[in-house]
Amino acid sequence: MSRLIFKISPFIFIGPAILLLFIFSIIPIVMSLIISFTDMDLVGLANWSKVSFIGFDNFGRLFNDPIFLKSIVNTLMYVGIGVPIVICLSLGIALLLNYSTSALFSGFRAIYYMPSITNIVAVAIIWGFLYNQEYGLFNYLLSLIDIEKVPWLEDPFVAKLSLILLAVWKGIGVDMIIFLAALQSIPKMYYEAADIDGANRWQKFKYVTLPSLSFAIFFVVVTKLIGWLQFFEEPFVMTGGGPLDGTVSMALFIYQEGFEYSRFGYASAASFVLFAVIIGITLVQFTLRKSDK
Amino acid sequence: MKKIKWIMIASLLVCFAFIMTACGSNSASSSEEPLKIWAMGAEGQKLKEFAKNFEEEHGIKTDVLAVPWGDAHDKILTAVAAGEGPDVLQIGNTWVAEFGEAGTFLDLTEYVESEEYPNLNQDNFFPSSTQTTVYNDKVLAVPYIIDTRVLFYRTDLLEQAGYPDGPATWDETLDAARTLAARGPDKNGFEIDQGSHHIPMMFAWEHGWDYDISKGAENFADPKFKQAMELYHQLFDEDLAQLEAGKETVQAFADGTNPMFISGPYMVNTIKEQAPEIEGKWNVKVMPKAETSNSIAGGSHFSVFHSSERVEDALTFINYMADPETQVEWYKEAFTLPTVKAAWEDPALKNDPMIKVFGEQIEMTKAFPVMAEYEFMAKELLKTLEQINRGGKSVDEALAEYQKEVEKILSE
Repeated sequence: MSRLIFKISPFIFIGPAILLLFIFSIIPIVMSLIISFTDMDLVGLANWSKVSFIGFDNFGRLFNDPIFLKSIVNTLMYVGIGVPIVICLSLGIALLLNYSTSALFSGFRAIYYMPSITNIVAVAIIWGFLYNQEYGLFNYLLSLIDIEKVPWLEDPFVAKLSLILLAVWKGIGVDMIIFLAALQSIPKMYYEAADIDGANRWQKFKYVTLPSLSFAIFFVVVTKLIGWLQFFEEPFVMTGGGPLDGTVSMALFIYQEGFEYSRFGYASAASFVLFAVIIGITLVQFTLRKSDK
Repeated sequence: MKKIKWIMIASLLVCFAFIMTACGSNSASSSEEPLKIWAMGAEGQKLKEFAKNFEEEHGIKTDVLAVPWGDAHDKILTAVAAGEGPDVLQIGNTWVAEFGEAGTFLDLTEYVESEEYPNLNQDNFFPSSTQTTVYNDKVLAVPYIIDTRVLFYRTDLLEQAGYPDGPATWDETLDAARTLAARGPDKNGFEIDQGSHHIPMMFAWEHGWDYDISKGAENFADPKFKQAMELYHQLFDEDLAQLEAGKETVQAFADGTNPMFISGPYMVNTIKEQAPEIEGKWNVKVMPKAETSNSIAGGSHFSVFHSSERVEDALTFINYMADPETQVEWYKEAFTLPTVKAAWEDPALKNDPMIKVFGEQIEMTKAFPVMAEYEFMAKELLKTLEQINRGGKSVDEALAEYQKEVEKILSE
């Protein structure tokens, strides 16, 4: 009897987690894979008998859809520009904040973290004012030093950069906290040993701090890449994908196709492409890390 | 020790079983349960309070959920997917076909003709309102609020431009806008809400265009449609209207940046509340005329969700809201225009000069045919106009592409 309990008790412990994982992750993913091969729309949603399988048609159409292709380019730009900036800035701020634990420093820690916990809608309204081309604060400040009006959200290319700036501002806090925690867990004796060896500041950073942070950096890079590949909130609330589809990200494209146009099959196919991209990039990172060791 | 383990495992399993059944049993419906109503927009919030009168009169409890228009479409979509929704729901009048095709709404045909619900009779309403309640020969909704667009203008500024009573035609409007835009570099002549697909559609109707279902995408090859889109483009091309995001509408109207714009009845109250300083310096007028002065027959309807188990109570509620008296009360409360013709005879509406203009405009409205593809076509049209105004495409080229896009939408 006790052997039986011994055998099943681990399953009972992990059971709830597995159950939740299945209900909220695995099943929906499989469902959306199935839906991506169908022509599911609003009518099909209400009456499943009107849904038919159309093979790879959705995928074929996707890669001929200029807006989807644009959304891929936009997403790659967001990731390519945004992720390095976020990581460098949050690491930099964490290093600076790590100098002291005085009230001033913990005050700044709170200030840098604040944007991350501010509601995106409130953020969108304020930044909308700041970015307003005619009456915004940014252009007013620039006009004081005789710089011409910047079309912050009115030009497809500049709008992308504006959204990246906003997302960086909003995203720094979380990573800064992770880096700060990692920095504080580096044993002091490493630095003492380095001091005895006569290492200067840069050498200490390069040979002690950075290697000690490697796991934190890996973690942040992976989560940031996944997060930025799903770039959604900023264009959703600020530009709705415009001007001229210049800020449409893949996630926003999926949302628009699915919930505005009710093309669920098509949107599922697009989300599967995004899923594949994310899995692919994450796997590459893991293999790179393994080969590093 | 062993016993305790067993008890723990057993109790865990029992707990799970409870959670599972608790999730599953949600369908009990007693007469005590309130009638579920989804009301959209700003007026939806006022309906909660307003429905109390109904509760007293009919002894039916209500549970009004106010849904912002921005979330309404998603919310109904979710209800369709779940197969479970409210009993009564408010819908935009362009959604009838889209959701109707998915069988979201109960067929009300027999009820609107029955003696039991006299206020639902279609003859009580403006024909432009009832027109959008019918899809596939079935009555799927009952008109609730009428919404049309008129021209809002600053009387003092338009007087300077030589039109103290506002421009009557589009030529006059352009002329006035040119004079007013010349006031200074940060002044405009007109404001256009570029997110609204009603405006280009209205322009087209005013130019004598009409959508003919049998012609499909060919409709957009009509030179009249092109003329209308050229007018739309002209406003931006000549810098009469601002292409970039500018000031907020009421603020820009109050400080004179934008002396003219197109909007709906709710704006009358908004201006009165937010810009009391321009009281007496602004007015409304029916849409400028090209060939006609047609505006949009917008608004919303009430419909009954297909799986509702309380059809009679739901219809009692809709019947109550469609009563001419209630419609007048509701107008006073929420400033929404009644769809019932009889309600317009009430002095509260009859003697208000601004509302009179809306009344005039309602006689000159058009609605897009009830078809499921309309929302897609409208969104695509806005993208096309963006290509013209921002992307620098020629009107001809962009409209040719639009026609192809519509063909694709219609063939899906």
